[in-house]
Amino acid sequence: MTTLRPFTCDDMYKFNNVNLDPLTETYGLSFYMQYLAHWPEYFQVAESPSGEIMGYIMGKAEGIGENWHGHVTALTVSPDFRRLGLAASLMNFLEDVSEKKRAYFVDLFVRVSNKVAINMYKNLGYIVYRTVLEYYSGDPDEDAYDMRKACSRDVNQKSVVPLTHPVRPEDVD
Amino acid sequence: MSRAQPNSHVHQDNSVVERRLRPIYDWLDTGNNKKALQECDKVLKKTPNLQCAKALKALTLHRMGKESECIVILDVLTKEIPSDDATLQAMALCYREMQELEKICKLYEIVVKNNPNNEELHTHLFMSYVRISDFKAQQQTAMSLYKSKPKNPYYCWAIMSVILQATRGEGLNDPQKRQLLLSLAERMFTKLLNDNKVDAEQEVQLYIIILNLLNKHEDILNILNGPLGTKLQCANIPQSKLEYLIKLKKWNEVNIICKGILVYSVDRWDIWKEYINSMFELMPNSSTSVPVESSGDDIESPDDTPEKAHEFICGIVENGTENGYLLRGPYLARFELGSKMREKNMNFTDILGDLTELFIEYFRKFGHKQCCVTDLRLYLNLLDSEKKVELAARLIKDVGISSTSVPQTEHQMQRHICALQLSRLCGGHRNLSSEHLKALITALSLHYQHGYQTYGKNLLTTDLGPSDPYALMAAHVLYDLALTENSSNCVVVALMLLESLLKNSPNNFHAKLLAVKLYHVLGGGLSAHEMYNSMDVKHLQLDSLGYIHCARLPTTGLFTLCTNLFDTTLKFFSSNYKDSSDHLTFSYKFGSFMKIDEFMDFRERLNNSLHYTTVAVDRIMLNLVECMSLETLYSLAISPKDNDINWELLRDNHDLSVNISWDPERIDGSPEDWTITKSLFEQDLRFLKLRTSLLFSMASSIDIVKSLDGTRQEHIQTLRKSLDEWRSLYERTVDDNFVPIQQGLLPLPMPSRLHGALVVPYFSVFNSFFEFFLSLTSDDNDVIERCTKRIEDELTKLTDVLKENTLKKPNDFFDKRKSMEVAVNCVEVLSVSSVACALCSELIKPLQAKKGKRKHPEPKGKDHVQRISDKLKSELNSFCDILQDWVDASPEEELHKKFDNLNLTVSENVFEKILHSYTISNKEMQLILKTKIKLLT
Repeated sequence: MTTLRPFTCDDMYKFNNVNLDPLTETYGLSFYMQYLAHWPEYFQVAESPSGEIMGYIMGKAEGIGENWHGHVTALTVSPDFRRLGLAASLMNFLEDVSEKKRAYFVDLFVRVSNKVAINMYKNLGYIVYRTVLEYYSGDPDEDAYDMRKACSRDVNQKSVVPLTHPVRPEDVD
Repeated sequence: MSRAQPNSHVHQDNSVVERRLRPIYDWLDTGNNKKALQECDKVLKKTPNLQCAKALKALTLHRMGKESECIVILDVLTKEIPSDDATLQAMALCYREMQELEKICKLYEIVVKNNPNNEELHTHLFMSYVRISDFKAQQQTAMSLYKSKPKNPYYCWAIMSVILQATRGEGLNDPQKRQLLLSLAERMFTKLLNDNKVDAEQEVQLYIIILNLLNKHEDILNILNGPLGTKLQCANIPQSKLEYLIKLKKWNEVNIICKGILVYSVDRWDIWKEYINSMFELMPNSSTSVPVESSGDDIESPDDTPEKAHEFICGIVENGTENGYLLRGPYLARFELGSKMREKNMNFTDILGDLTELFIEYFRKFGHKQCCVTDLRLYLNLLDSEKKVELAARLIKDVGISSTSVPQTEHQMQRHICALQLSRLCGGHRNLSSEHLKALITALSLHYQHGYQTYGKNLLTTDLGPSDPYALMAAHVLYDLALTENSSNCVVVALMLLESLLKNSPNNFHAKLLAVKLYHVLGGGLSAHEMYNSMDVKHLQLDSLGYIHCARLPTTGLFTLCTNLFDTTLKFFSSNYKDSSDHLTFSYKFGSFMKIDEFMDFRERLNNSLHYTTVAVDRIMLNLVECMSLETLYSLAISPKDNDINWELLRDNHDLSVNISWDPERIDGSPEDWTITKSLFEQDLRFLKLRTSLLFSMASSIDIVKSLDGTRQEHIQTLRKSLDEWRSLYERTVDDNFVPIQQGLLPLPMPSRLHGALVVPYFSVFNSFFEFFLSLTSDDNDVIERCTKRIEDELTKLTDVLKENTLKKPNDFFDKRKSMEVAVNCVEVLSVSSVACALCSELIKPLQAKKGKRKHPEPKGKDHVQRISDKLKSELNSFCDILQDWVDASPEEELHKKFDNLNLTVSENVFEKILHSYTISNKEMQLILKTKIKLLT
């Protein structure tokens, strides 16, 4: 049961129940503000009937020519509201906006160890397009999957033909 | 390259310049200012006229604290009127770091005057006005920019600047002016429309902003329905229309649109609420409506009675079951319907049946989801207290777990947890005897252990244990029991339980939040700090969660920890306030005009945070307490936030809702909205004002010492005024008789520091000091003698206060925590008094030094200052003795053996850890006191 609405600055004062979860990163203010200023339509929050933040999605649109695509920067759901299909509705929203913006595909990065998330994205129709080596810094560094789903504009599904070789982070634009 | 020309750099080969300057940027980025300066000088030796190198040198000098040299360079550069971006950027950055935003405007004004057709420089000028919120100048600049480069965005910048004048500038307190300006904005936009120039989505959004402010909702609907609406690429038109249809009270259309959405998206809660609300507006007996003739199942006709709404809801429920979905929306919509009917005093049982059954049905369907509790919490008030008790009993029974059985599946366990939480919300744990509470604690702990053994192993470290909620609730009940028994022992047990939970699920933040709170309840600041650190609180959380730890640390006497956390917190606030103007410029750049108002509000919210101001004041106070010499004192900035505190606008930014709890009070709303939270805010605010009074008086005293005879009288008047204001504030506070907030509700912060401050004679001690200080300037021996006597008496009393509140109080951690807070305050008063005494001796010294060629008679007051200094030293020693005696008399560990059956496997002893924290605090305080003896010697 969800109210989807645009994320506002004040939501940052309320998102602790989501962000204190170890899998969700809290970024500096500028990061959120930049997304709010540049791609406000891509930054949505799901609110519970009692007004709590259940989860949110932030994304952007970028790329030139046939690389014009929607990108999922962060997707997170509070532990108390998991297994309710919330991530799916948030992704759905982002895909919708990308369709409206006439994007060719939507992509996202995910830790190769995050099996739960990878499976969820697969169920939503995403494929592993390529592996990005040592994308996440840490000890040790971790690889990322670059996952993609084609939008209707990519009629021939050209954007989702998987690469056979992994790439380095500097080769990802 | 023509070296003779002053602007030679412009024509220089850019890559050469860039290569030369690169090292300077690199050193600056890594914070090595010394190297950066060397590099600047090197480059300037080769190319003395390279403006960018000069600008970077100015920036470097500023960062090294060499303000005057920096300003000289900037002033010379400004006269040269630089025009290359790199130089200007470096100068602007320098002014920004100096907090001289107006000077950036001045700089670009000059530069633009010289290059009137340079679009980029013009843009910089516009943005510099955005940073200082000069809306009028923004408008003019945007218009002149548009005239030289007729691009739509610039015109929109001008319109937005007019809107801001209406809403935040001149129009703010002048409705006529506001209307005038908004009409102007509308006309400006209409011109764009008439010229057929409107193209981008952002432009249409700007138009809607204007019309909305003018309350022209009908016009907005026309836009949404018309060709302009198609430019709103990302909008969902039907849903966008809803907002304005509601404002226009077009309930028929609202109702129909909602139905249309709900049939496909049965889980849209915002739409459900509007649907039900519009139905009530349409009801035949409500005064505005016209009866609607139609059958309830027709999607094209509005529903105007609860019966029809109920039918609509049931239809969706049935459809859902057919499709195999199980979405909560329509089920919860029935509660919303009932709730609204009750608001209107209508009988809802005819439609909805027995409400208890409705709750049970919901629980049966969704009890295995954690959100079931917060969903139902919203509507528990539909039941009276008797019915609530009945519901609680039935839910527990429905789960099928008796006092002798355990859940057979994880699913059943989750239902059990849900039933227990609802039962606590229904008041099921209130008014239970100690015996009952103990039995409950044992049962919850056993369930936790069983659940952990059966379902909690082999999880990822990032997972929360499925049976953790049992242990969390047990900790809550232990806290209840501690308050009932008025003994902290059960809180120690609760902490042992939480520590043991965290061994199994190391990332359970609910347990961490609760543990930080409970450690502070017992005064174990060090353990609280350890726990807090493991939560990785950062950025905005320093404000929203600052209350859990940073706000409590000053009461623990852990001065070293305070210093670090205060500095981290203050750095976050000051740098973000500076940066937040950047975000505004982004909004203009990307045309997200609808975010500008929001960004400006957010900026204010951040800057007016009560927590920010409190930490700023605490930091200065700590500087005073730790001050070891007059040189240090003179270099301190004593006025918090540059003396620019907007008391009326200060606000509470705490996120209290993040603390889970199942107190019946939560049915009535979130903790942020409780009356008790409001009174806590009032007390905290008063505390802050009192504390700031001390700083103001101290600042004036320093001014008096520093001032030459000409301005001294003025500063003396300021000090007298500060003391008068402080006195009346203090007297008013005593009269107001504030009562500490009750401690039964765990989501609330600790009681205000106001109470611990009022126990200690802050005002009378410092008032006597400042009166003495003033008497020294008057040279009246009788007054000096009288003031000296008063100080001596006040200091004796202060030592009594310390003794009364430490050695003579019980040793239970509940009492010990309060004692510690008072002790820290006493140490603060005595330490700052020592600094004040040092200031007194400085006040009479210059007379001696200046005219000191011949032997002069001893300056008046010298003996008195000596007497006070001796008295202070003697009290400082007494303080150390009392504190030592106090730490030696530590509490006995007498935890009840009856909790042995909780099966706790905690290696570290919570009790020992807390005691250790007290010992460290004690040491730190004694250390401070000893440095003050040194200061006076």
